[in-house]
Amino acid sequence: MALQELREVQPEPLVPPIARAAGRAIVITSGKGGVGKTTTTANVGAALAARGKDVVLVDADVGLRNLDIVLGLENRVRYHLLDVLEKKVELETALIRDKRNERLHLLAAAQSREKEDVDTDAMRALIDRLRAQFEFVLIDCPAGIEMGFKNAIAGAQHAIVVCTPEVAAVRDADRVVGLLPADWRPELIINRLRPALVNKGKMLSVEDVDAILRLPLLGVIADEPAVIVSTNRGEPLALDPSSKTGAAYRAIAARLAGEDVPLPVPRPEPRLLAKLGALFSRSAGGRA
Amino acid sequence: MSARRIVVTSGKGGVGKTTTTANLGATLARRGHRVVLVDTDIGLRKLDLVLGLEKRIVFDLVEVVEGRCQLRQALIRDKRFESLNVLPAAQTREKTAVSEEQMAQIIEELAATADYVLIDCPAGIEHGFRSAVAGAREAIVVTTPEVSAIRDADRVVGKLVQRNLPLRLIVNRIRPEMVKSGDMLSVDDVCGVLSLELLGMLPDDEEIIDATNRGEPLALDPSKRLAVLYEKIARRLDGEIVPFTSFEPPGLLNRFFAMWKAG
Repeated sequence: MALQELREVQPEPLVPPIARAAGRAIVITSGKGGVGKTTTTANVGAALAARGKDVVLVDADVGLRNLDIVLGLENRVRYHLLDVLEKKVELETALIRDKRNERLHLLAAAQSREKEDVDTDAMRALIDRLRAQFEFVLIDCPAGIEMGFKNAIAGAQHAIVVCTPEVAAVRDADRVVGLLPADWRPELIINRLRPALVNKGKMLSVEDVDAILRLPLLGVIADEPAVIVSTNRGEPLALDPSSKTGAAYRAIAARLAGEDVPLPVPRPEPRLLAKLGALFSRSAGGRA
Repeated sequence: MSARRIVVTSGKGGVGKTTTTANLGATLARRGHRVVLVDTDIGLRKLDLVLGLEKRIVFDLVEVVEGRCQLRQALIRDKRFESLNVLPAAQTREKTAVSEEQMAQIIEELAATADYVLIDCPAGIEHGFRSAVAGAREAIVVTTPEVSAIRDADRVVGKLVQRNLPLRLIVNRIRPEMVKSGDMLSVDDVCGVLSLELLGMLPDDEEIIDATNRGEPLALDPSKRLAVLYEKIARRLDGEIVPFTSFEPPGLLNRFFAMWKAG
């Protein structure tokens, strides 16, 4: 009865005290190493920030950190995740602001410590705290399914599984999906697709991977040397307006932000001879 | 005579540890050695896939450790070479199921009846890494010419040096055209950063993906350039001095120049 009265007093729905209290914490994971977790985290994070979202990237790969390199921030790392978890510094002190976009932040991993040093409960509490401050908390998970993996997923509510179109990577991705909480609905990014190889039947297609993993597809990224170059240089490709791969990352960010954008799937670049052939047949057709 | 016990490791994942282990193992077996490959990536095993032996697994490493089967029962003989055997990892267990001492004991046992024991290490530097390294007497560090892979390799080198393991380096997935355009570190650069002795260098080859998917080590097809390069690495492991050949990008212009020079 008292509750009923209260409701009558307050006809308008309550506005949450902090509008963004429920940022999304998403872990980027794969099982297999070297499939592109860190590159994905950096690029999707940069693309989200470019869309005006407040983003923090958390490098959970204690001992083998790389997210700072991919973002070109390696010289700005002073404090790291374990300093914060062990309350040696304030969270705000350890956060590194990106050079290009002030909405993008990095919490670097410790390089000279062990993954077993991370306290799972403290990690969960930290991610909750970051969610209150940022709209997107992207957690870059280490390879494998040991302690580092468990700590990386501890505070997350959602997972993006990165997988290359290779049998070995698909097997590991499937294993990781089985280890994630049963009520999650992980989304899939297929990375390093070589459309020309798929056409020749020498690489699994998007459909092949989908048939095995059966996860909602968030994006498909082509294998492109430019990714290696941008990673070495610390310049995320997602910020290059002329790059097709950059556009694919931006589409992923748009989908994560809730926009209904079509999913670009890489197609093989026509080979020189095929291009010539096409020209020839067109002109021949014109004359006929 | 006791076997060479070599761990194949990298720090970073996906740089080619398992592919290297399988191809090098097959090459060494073809050269007449008795070879055992040990997959220590418990929970994420793949060595069986790369060799096309995944359907033949009956027992695994963890079952050996737990005394559920004999070591020889768990070994899978390769389809192609009788002298090549694989000890598979368990797929549904945790890395902590095998301690460093237990792993060292198994490697010791395997070494009694082999010439080479190659240990395929999991990615990372956690428990799985420590136990994979426990039974090894030497190490092959695999890296790609990328900044992040080299940083991780450097971290692993530090840990291996502490254990006094002799180390040699394989630089994998080199793209000569990118090295030439200055978009990729050269092998000299990588060796310089890590200050390790070079054991081999391998180009990025798209055929490796298909070969891995099919479970046929590319090293066994003598018509492939990778087979020639794995053979050289195997010979270096055997103690031979084999010169390194640099691979130029097979660009149109280079081919033209080669023809011109030949003419």
